[in-house]
Amino acid sequence: MAGRRATTGLFLSPWILTFAAFGIFPIVFSFVLSFLRYDPLNPAGASFIAFENYARALRDRTFWQSLGNTAFFTIGTIPVTTAGAFLLAVALDRRLPARSLFRAGFFVPSVVSMVVISLIWKNLYAPFGALNAALDAFGLPEVAWLQNPKTALPAIMLMDVWASTGYYMLLFLAGLQSIPRELYEASALDGAGTWARVRHVTVPLLMPVTLFVVVINTIRSLQVFIEVFVMTRGGPMNSTLTTVFYLYDIGFFKFEMGYASAIAYLLFLLILGFSVLEMRTMRRRA
Amino acid sequence: MRRLVACAALAAAVVLAAAPAGCGKKQERGTVITFWQFFEPGAIRPVLEKFEKEHPGVRVDMQQLTWADGRQKIIASVAAGGPPDLCELGSTWVAKFAADGAILDWTEDARALRDRFRMWDTAEYDSRVYGLPWVVGTRALFVNRDLFARAGIDSFPETWCELLDASEKVDDLGDGVYGFGLNSGERYVLYKKFMPFAWGNGGAVLSADMQHSVFDSQENLEALHFMTALRPSSLLEKQDVLDRAFIEGRVGMVLSGAWLLRTLAKEAPSLRYAVVLVPKPDAGGSHASFAGGEVLVSFRNSKHPKEAFELARFLVEPENAIAVARVVRSVQPAAVGAEDDPYYAEHPEDRVFVEQLRTSVSTPAHPRWSEIEDVVNEALEQAIHGTRKPEDALREGSRRIEALLATSS
Amino acid sequence: MSPALGGARREGREAHAARDGGRRGGLAHALLLVALVAILLVSLYPLFWMFALALRVPGEAGWRLGFEHFESVWKSGPFDRYFLNSIWVAAWVVGANALLASMVGYALARRRFPGKRALLLGVLATLMVPRQVTMIPVYLLFAKMRWIDTYAALIVPFAVDAFNVFLMSQYIQTIPEELEDAARVDGAGDFGVFFRVVLPLARPALAVVAINTFLTNWNSFLYPLILTNSEKMRTLPVGLALYAQGEHSVDWGPLMAGSSLATIPILIVFLIFQRNIIAGITQGALKG
Repeated sequence: MAGRRATTGLFLSPWILTFAAFGIFPIVFSFVLSFLRYDPLNPAGASFIAFENYARALRDRTFWQSLGNTAFFTIGTIPVTTAGAFLLAVALDRRLPARSLFRAGFFVPSVVSMVVISLIWKNLYAPFGALNAALDAFGLPEVAWLQNPKTALPAIMLMDVWASTGYYMLLFLAGLQSIPRELYEASALDGAGTWARVRHVTVPLLMPVTLFVVVINTIRSLQVFIEVFVMTRGGPMNSTLTTVFYLYDIGFFKFEMGYASAIAYLLFLLILGFSVLEMRTMRRRA
Repeated sequence: MRRLVACAALAAAVVLAAAPAGCGKKQERGTVITFWQFFEPGAIRPVLEKFEKEHPGVRVDMQQLTWADGRQKIIASVAAGGPPDLCELGSTWVAKFAADGAILDWTEDARALRDRFRMWDTAEYDSRVYGLPWVVGTRALFVNRDLFARAGIDSFPETWCELLDASEKVDDLGDGVYGFGLNSGERYVLYKKFMPFAWGNGGAVLSADMQHSVFDSQENLEALHFMTALRPSSLLEKQDVLDRAFIEGRVGMVLSGAWLLRTLAKEAPSLRYAVVLVPKPDAGGSHASFAGGEVLVSFRNSKHPKEAFELARFLVEPENAIAVARVVRSVQPAAVGAEDDPYYAEHPEDRVFVEQLRTSVSTPAHPRWSEIEDVVNEALEQAIHGTRKPEDALREGSRRIEALLATSS
Repeated sequence: MSPALGGARREGREAHAARDGGRRGGLAHALLLVALVAILLVSLYPLFWMFALALRVPGEAGWRLGFEHFESVWKSGPFDRYFLNSIWVAAWVVGANALLASMVGYALARRRFPGKRALLLGVLATLMVPRQVTMIPVYLLFAKMRWIDTYAALIVPFAVDAFNVFLMSQYIQTIPEELEDAARVDGAGDFGVFFRVVLPLARPALAVVAINTFLTNWNSFLYPLILTNSEKMRTLPVGLALYAQGEHSVDWGPLMAGSSLATIPILIVFLIFQRNIIAGITQGALKG
């Protein structure tokens, strides 16, 4: 039995080691940092300031603005992405010519690097770019997509919906394909039309998948970073400043890593809260 | 037995993975100076090779940083205790590094070089010298001569009035053409395009002793009113988009740096353009512009500080600095007399930049400048986008700067 | 879901759909097709545009197609180096995951040990902390170890990924234990059982692990950004993002050529291994 224990330990060791070094250690160290004033240029001068960083975050106007932007981003994209993915999955869950072509085509955007996607869309949104050219062709006024504080964040949101819907569509497709067809037949026999069937059979049975989709989408959306880094860097006028970008900025441009860590932990609490809330709500409905 | 073999294999694999880039450095003979800088290898390597020839037994290990994340890398390396021996810093960063005691004081060593270089204020903090001024970059006004001709303008703008007039005339040409390129939506840049007008009018952000904010002065207000007057005939975009628009002939005028000369030569050789000094206020004032310098520094924990200083002295010599400047074209040497080099006689546009340097101003050497910069940028953006009246934006900005100054030690 | 059962279900549903299709009529079906085609075009247009900009070269009278942007970015980027780095790192990470994640997954599937549940929950929680927080301590750790700007820094943190561990663990659980017991009776030790019995049987899951790991690692951005300093160590996404930064004007041709270089391997892997990728994702969804 002791031999078994040893090999168990050995088999688990790669994970234990990497988890300890790159999972636990950074998280604990960051947590400690959040209670300090830590300037990386002067590590010896770090001082313990208890909850001061957290209090400062709660007083910080820009922090709240970033939270507002992040929340707007999340609340704006998730329903659209989820509904879109669901509809596409329903549409594809049937006998269709070139069905795998459609499936592949919708999914492709999600495998491409977000850096590449952000660059392409930066070009599409440029003042003399494709989107404005299209607007022009229809006689509509051009839009300063990434320069107008009112349209910059929606522009990024639109790109995000484009990039991620395909992935979630696959999840819904899998869920749809696991629904026994007897249920549909029974419902049809009871006289239910297509939409009624969707509402009473499909949607409830897809609750677990929907929950999964919404939760991972939330976690992802609350951490939006690459798009902002490549396209707008928080501007114009902080309208695209997300919380993660703000903490990156504070940590690396203002050198205040204690404060940055505190903001990160506040965001973490938010993510945790959202996830738990979503899980509770959906469990109750299903 | 098998277990041991498997473990050994795993360990070997991990070590092998680390090997390709890790191993070589420890076996070097002689001195190796680590040098971090921002210019492309093609521009800097020839100069470094020349240094190595003149100093046998010394090798320079150069690493190129990018502006997007270079500062973080430098800071992180200082925090981790392994900073480079010699490093290029942006002039706006020097004050903070110096205040934190991270970089070496070169006041004594640099005394002999005093008269031969300009822009020492970019390398100074609290009356001590912390680096050698290497090269400087400034901004000037690029003018599209074809668009000017089409709009019936026969001279290049020298004053604010003429600039506004020209911008409106070019913008009236319609069909996807804008008069002026106004910076927007980009941090660390907007103030570089506004401050020239403010400085030209005699305004400033901080008082001379850097104890107070003078951001809401009348001079600044006039400059800001002027900028907002330009807005209707301008394309509001980030610098790279403005540059691209100018290259494609869609913008009449844009404030940009000498790097644009290089791109224009490569991509729009047939575009007829001119470079002129930043226009000054109608009455009095000067053709001020923003001067951003690159300073060579060494760190407190650097391993080879003496050799680093040698390398720095070598690099700032006019002929070596020009060797780099000619290739990148985006900067000019800080050495006095560099403008007499035949290169500038042959390249009139580059010479305008050197001319512009004479009346260019660099930002105050305050340790919290990057935060002050943020406040300035925000205030300017609010005024330009119209979410706040210029007076209010400046006043609010000034208040926040005062608050920042008050909490500095 | 075993293949046989899924097949039967699929046939049934298709028959079902065919029956239904006749009733609903061709018009709705046709409209649906049109809508799907439209959405497909929207999905693919930006990628098509990327290739178009990459191949669009200024010519005598306007534009023509050419590879000049690719050539210039390959040498001067230097995207040839970035490409090499991406491949080298990806190969190591995929290999490490295939081996190590299955080892850990095996232990999780077969062995009981105290604290198992706590470990799993802990891993889940760590996935929710933004990387921007953990990157500072990781950087400082690597700096002290002198691992900055080395391949080790790009490989080791990603050598054992939690999702892969779960995947392998789930799959291994479906392998009947009798096979292992039989091998043990024949005298094989733990490692023998693992390498000679379990791994070969776990090949489908290994394929999914390999492909998914490749995709995620190839596009990995944040850690490579902060853990590399020099050109010669950068990977494609980092090289790309930094190439596009700065106050200077953006040159779309070379930039899109670089983007294409970063995207083409992904597309190739995707097209060849579509089924496995989708299987991996959907399995994850069903186990929730």
